[in-house]
Amino acid sequence: MSIRQNNSNILMGFLAFSVAFPIIVVFSAWLLPGSELWGHFAENLLPELVSSTLILLLGVGIGVSVLGTVLAYLVVMVEFPGRKWLEWALFLPFAIPAYVLAFVYLGVFDYSGYAQVWLRELTGISGFDIRSGHWAIILTFVLVFYPYVYMMARASFKRQKIQMIEAGKMLGASPFSVFWKISVPLARPAIAAGLLVTLMETLADFGVVSLFNYPTFTTAIYSAWGDFRSIEVAAQLASLLVLVAFLLIYFEKKARGKAKYYSSDVSSIKPYHANGLIGWLLFVFVFGVFMLSFAMPMLQIIIWSFEKFTQEWNPRYFDYLSSTGILTISATVLTVFIATLLALPSRRKSNSKVLQILIRFSTLGYALPGSVMAVGLLYGVQNISLISIYFGGSSINHILFGSVALLLFAYVSRFMAIAFNSTIASSEQIKPMFEQSARLLGASRFRLIKEVYLPMMTPGILAGALLVSVDVMKELPATYLLRPFGWDTLAIRVYELSAEGLYERAAIPALIMVFLGAVIMLLFNKLDRDNN
Amino acid sequence: MEYKVNKKVSILSILVIAILSTSFSAAVLATTDDSLTVYSTRKEHLIKPLFDAFTSNTGIEVKYLTGNGGALIERIKLEGKRTKADMFMTVDAGNLWYAASQNLFQPVESEVLINNIPAHLRDPEGLWTGLSVRARTIIYSTERVNPSELSTYQDLADNKWKGRLCLRTSKKVYTKSLVASLIHHDGQEATTDVVKGWVDNLAATPNAEDTHVMRAILAGQCDVGIVNTYYFGRLQAEKPNVTLKLFWANQGSTGTHVNISGAGVTKYSSNKEGSIKLLEFLSSIDAQKIYVELNKEYPASQKLKADNLIAQWGDFNQDKMNLSVAGKNQADAVALMQREGYR
Repeated sequence: MSIRQNNSNILMGFLAFSVAFPIIVVFSAWLLPGSELWGHFAENLLPELVSSTLILLLGVGIGVSVLGTVLAYLVVMVEFPGRKWLEWALFLPFAIPAYVLAFVYLGVFDYSGYAQVWLRELTGISGFDIRSGHWAIILTFVLVFYPYVYMMARASFKRQKIQMIEAGKMLGASPFSVFWKISVPLARPAIAAGLLVTLMETLADFGVVSLFNYPTFTTAIYSAWGDFRSIEVAAQLASLLVLVAFLLIYFEKKARGKAKYYSSDVSSIKPYHANGLIGWLLFVFVFGVFMLSFAMPMLQIIIWSFEKFTQEWNPRYFDYLSSTGILTISATVLTVFIATLLALPSRRKSNSKVLQILIRFSTLGYALPGSVMAVGLLYGVQNISLISIYFGGSSINHILFGSVALLLFAYVSRFMAIAFNSTIASSEQIKPMFEQSARLLGASRFRLIKEVYLPMMTPGILAGALLVSVDVMKELPATYLLRPFGWDTLAIRVYELSAEGLYERAAIPALIMVFLGAVIMLLFNKLDRDNN
Repeated sequence: MEYKVNKKVSILSILVIAILSTSFSAAVLATTDDSLTVYSTRKEHLIKPLFDAFTSNTGIEVKYLTGNGGALIERIKLEGKRTKADMFMTVDAGNLWYAASQNLFQPVESEVLINNIPAHLRDPEGLWTGLSVRARTIIYSTERVNPSELSTYQDLADNKWKGRLCLRTSKKVYTKSLVASLIHHDGQEATTDVVKGWVDNLAATPNAEDTHVMRAILAGQCDVGIVNTYYFGRLQAEKPNVTLKLFWANQGSTGTHVNISGAGVTKYSSNKEGSIKLLEFLSSIDAQKIYVELNKEYPASQKLKADNLIAQWGDFNQDKMNLSVAGKNQADAVALMQREGYR
């Protein structure tokens, strides 16, 4: 048994190492000589960038935690008008790429947007620049990323033991203190997991921050690369982002502590009924979030699409659709397959510390800006080619560059965090007892995995798959650099048009993406219901 | 349920394996016919019509891959001798200069290009050729600005524009090249004062796009800005009565700053002859017309008159600084803007 265990540890180590490969290449930039660029950045850019990045993380972090948790609690624990459809509708904003939401918000709410024009005409107050300061961009990120926390917190609330809440009620706890003292602490690991993903994605974002012209750490990365043509410094800066993500994971683990919450009973009984005025107030609040984060932007996108349809629609769209579809499906299957292997419960316990750290490290790609990771991958292939040439072989660059394989590799590295977070969450809920009794009954390892672990991990695997697929579909920078000829995706079309300022035309590919994303989210919701 | 999932997973795995294997074989078996491959930072909707016209003229097929400048340059470098790219096409002289400095191009000698394209829009060694010209100049609100108030880029740093100026972000290459040209003409110190003045005069955080600058002026957030003329051309084509107007900057001194989009033949092109043919076609009157129609840019060719919409903006003196200078000065320009807090 121990030899097999070792073998599988080596296999897992190799897998995790492969996934982490582009990140390791990015880190290797520190081996290159330093640059005077650091002096210039340290003096002129970094102080502002670091403080504004921290403010952004703090604001977005608090925002998504509060909004996501409160919404999840309301739809799970409270019966109020419209709850049923809002419960799934609240997933939908996840289908909108962040940069699309950002350009819609700017179009509506910035000084020249009609919301402000209307406000000025109505009240006579002077207009304001929503791109200055922090609150508008924080709000944008919160509205686009809250579904991460909502999704995870909701799943957690659903699994909470109804008895505990009933006990709390019997002891005279008010609804608020049940929420604060029982439900939230129990859901803490789930909330933290959603928060972690949000913060990593915020760190890596380039689209939204460019539209708002908000200085974050990625600004320095792109400046090093684009302005000063120093890919080394760009990689060095990017690796700092990875370190921050590592710290975040550490804090998440810390925050979670040793707490493990195994539970399986699910009840559809709502502990609270909000009748009358309170019920309607709750409806207005939840509906308001849905309006702002999904319905309003969608309406704008639909209006633009109608205006520009004849100008923009062409048969190339069938190519965009098929590339998007094929890439999304293949990348999702691969990513989730590997994430499942890495998260299997028996691994968790027998793993060496080194392997555990390596596995964690392999999930950090989510905090890297996509194009930095993609170039890291190209340089990684180049290094392998150099080694191969050294030993008398030939370069493999021309085989790998522009191949679907390399692009899929990039997706796996980039989105491992999402898939792994989901699969590990469900794996951690499997009681150790299952493994012991299966062993006692003499079940083989394979049977244990196939008949015990996989079925129990299915909700996590599916959730991971659906999240990854929406993310792959929206992915831009890595796809843009690594795709094979003719494999343009919808996200690329959105980008190419909006980069030229043609936002109205970009609405058409964006609308198709949102539609596909919404279908995926609804599928998620259906599978989720079947599981319950 | 388990069974269903397992079956789905296995179908998907087969799909993935099939895709992987076809993608590998497609890459390995890529044939060496006479088709051309272009890596381009110009977006698909702006290049496809040109390539389609070339293909119907010559029968030579053009494949293209669009992407971001820095990333595509890295890719060509790493692909080395086996690069698929026959041509690299990009916007901004600074990018062309940088690609040339990275040894990506080979020199091209062509009478046709020399006849069609003026010298200051070409690389002195024939490494790259400008194919369209974009002028970057002042735009103002006809309701709140008297054109007699306007004169130069530098003048927009004057106190009288306090709270009236909108600019595009310093991260955009057109801003970088403009400031690089100011450094060339006036030197670091004077340009530092200009940029400082601009930043003081800003009415709003610098915008991500020229289109946003124009929108802000229309909404009354500011009165003047600096834009590439084709963005205004597109707006005017949609709304002929828009209350904005172009002002040709620096006519009394250095001339209005122009930039180019252009292309060069890659060093390791497997089809040099065909690539030169494509370059020559792009400089021809037929192709230059497409450039102008598609994007309201100025033709690079001396032989073509601008179309009606563009012609009504009037003639202007171009800054004749050789555009490779903009490339050389760009890093200084960015460092300067970052020091002065121009985002």
